[in-house]
Amino acid sequence: MAKPDAPFRYLALIALAGLIGAAALALATPALAAPPASGDVSSPPAQETEAYCLSCHGKADLSMTLLSGESLSLYVSRETLDASVHSPLGIECQACHTGIKTYPHPAISYADRRELSRSYYLACQKCHSDNYDKSQDSMHARVAEAGNLTAPVCTNCHGAHDVRPPDQPRAHISETCGQCHTQIVAQYKNSIHGSALIEQDNPDVPVCTDCHGVHSIQDPRTAQFRIGTPELCAGCHADAELMGKYGLSTDVYNLYNISWHGVDVTVYKANWPTIWHESAVCTDCHGVHDILPTGNPASKVNPANLLATCRQCHPDAGPNWTGAWTGHNRISPERTPFLFAVERFYSTFTTAVLWLSVIYVVLQIVRAVAGRVRRSLR
Amino acid sequence: MSAVSRPAAGIQTVRFFARFTIGQRWEHTILIITFTALALTGLVQKYRTWPISQQVLATPEAVMTVRNIHHVFAVLLMLQVVYHLGRAVYLLAKRRMSAAMFPTWQDVRDAAQMIKYLFFLSAKQPRFGKYNFEQKFTYWFLFFGIGIMVVTGFIIWFPVQVASFLPGGVIPAAKLAHSTEAVVAVIFVVIWHFYHVHLQRLNLSMFTGRLNEDVMREYHPAEYERLTGQPASGASGEEESGGQV
Repeated sequence: MAKPDAPFRYLALIALAGLIGAAALALATPALAAPPASGDVSSPPAQETEAYCLSCHGKADLSMTLLSGESLSLYVSRETLDASVHSPLGIECQACHTGIKTYPHPAISYADRRELSRSYYLACQKCHSDNYDKSQDSMHARVAEAGNLTAPVCTNCHGAHDVRPPDQPRAHISETCGQCHTQIVAQYKNSIHGSALIEQDNPDVPVCTDCHGVHSIQDPRTAQFRIGTPELCAGCHADAELMGKYGLSTDVYNLYNISWHGVDVTVYKANWPTIWHESAVCTDCHGVHDILPTGNPASKVNPANLLATCRQCHPDAGPNWTGAWTGHNRISPERTPFLFAVERFYSTFTTAVLWLSVIYVVLQIVRAVAGRVRRSLR
Repeated sequence: MSAVSRPAAGIQTVRFFARFTIGQRWEHTILIITFTALALTGLVQKYRTWPISQQVLATPEAVMTVRNIHHVFAVLLMLQVVYHLGRAVYLLAKRRMSAAMFPTWQDVRDAAQMIKYLFFLSAKQPRFGKYNFEQKFTYWFLFFGIGIMVVTGFIIWFPVQVASFLPGGVIPAAKLAHSTEAVVAVIFVVIWHFYHVHLQRLNLSMFTGRLNEDVMREYHPAEYERLTGQPASGASGEEESGGQV
């Protein structure tokens, strides 16, 4: 009965040789330790791990079910990776998916997609430790710590497999924030800043992150943020070159600082930045995300709406009240004739009183001393 | 020198001339207190970045306290203004108002003579009456200065109410005037008034209410002659100035 066995023995030998060969190849390239398919292992793809992973994850219907019953798509498209910043630079799957080295993959036990995201984003820290640390100091991180797990992590803003430069175009930044802050971004889009950004791709107007910060975004409702508002706006509005492009005055900040409101705010900022103070800052009158040019009839500081804006804080103000407002303008005979006259008078009068008093008293002293010297010589 | 009224026996009889009533002296004392308190509490707010101001305005509560003190003394000063004006009206009505403090052409002539004297163009000092032109100037300068401070202070204390009957433009103007006039008043008092009553000679008549005969003859010869009918001998020569120390 040995004869019929012979062909099988040969087959077994060939199979054994094949296995040994495969094992040797596997040892030489550990990344390919356990090919799941009987593909052509003798000609590996150029981008080994990525192509290798995509051999499964490139299938659009690949998905799994998480403990919560939530379905998680495991599909990653070639095009997405090619358009991202990482893949073209050779930063591939394992750079982020550090826990997966073998097939079959170690089991994962995330309850839901959110838990998975909140675990996977930690990988960003490996390369982007600086921004990661900043984000851990942010409002978003603190909210998450307090239990709101929907607070964004790196990937919510930057994407995961599709990470791209966040500001190309700049309007993309407001869209990113708008994923959650829908209403605010809707307001912003209609503002002078937002409309210039979206309609003209204006490089100068602020996007969300210019005012709120990038990774270490802080709560804008605090006393500190409020008291820092004038300086924040001044970052652009006191910049002569920048404002010159749009014909805007750069006096606004300096004149605000010596105004009634501004003096209060300056003192609080210098001494008690954490104590809430009601004196108006830029945004109280101009609006926050809905800032419009003064000439726009919908602007809070348009002459037609100014009194209503003042009444937010000065509820008893009458129609004459807005006449007290010099509108961040220097004292001028055309705009504020009475104030101009008073200012002119005092600039002369003060100097005159000072010098005439000094001169008169000095002359008196000189004359008295001269008289005394004369008498003593007599 | 000039001991006309001194008897030879070594006993000196000094005649005094009444100058200010007790009411006027009290008014002046209250004015010193209110003026000083208002100037100090006002100037630390105006010059709030100065180190001394920073020490006073150390907490938000301290800022409020300083403002409250300023308002309390402002009310005191306003009451005094009301009293002063009320008394003036009363005296006018009774036809007992003294004309001594009102400016006259003689003051202009005296000032001109003083300028000549100060520039060594004349050896004669002007011969002053009860109040010389310097003293009248001091009074009227502060009279109008305090008037401006009271009116502008009221405007910036109650801006909303004021704007209900005045144009809003008066508010920033009042703020500017209040802040600047305060400095003017302080400069004026410190340089002009302090020189005349402390340095030129120590003149305490505003506290004692009287001037002695020597001082009267030297500094107010016209008034001396009017009151006594005697000549204030040699009171107008330059050798006379600074005669008493």
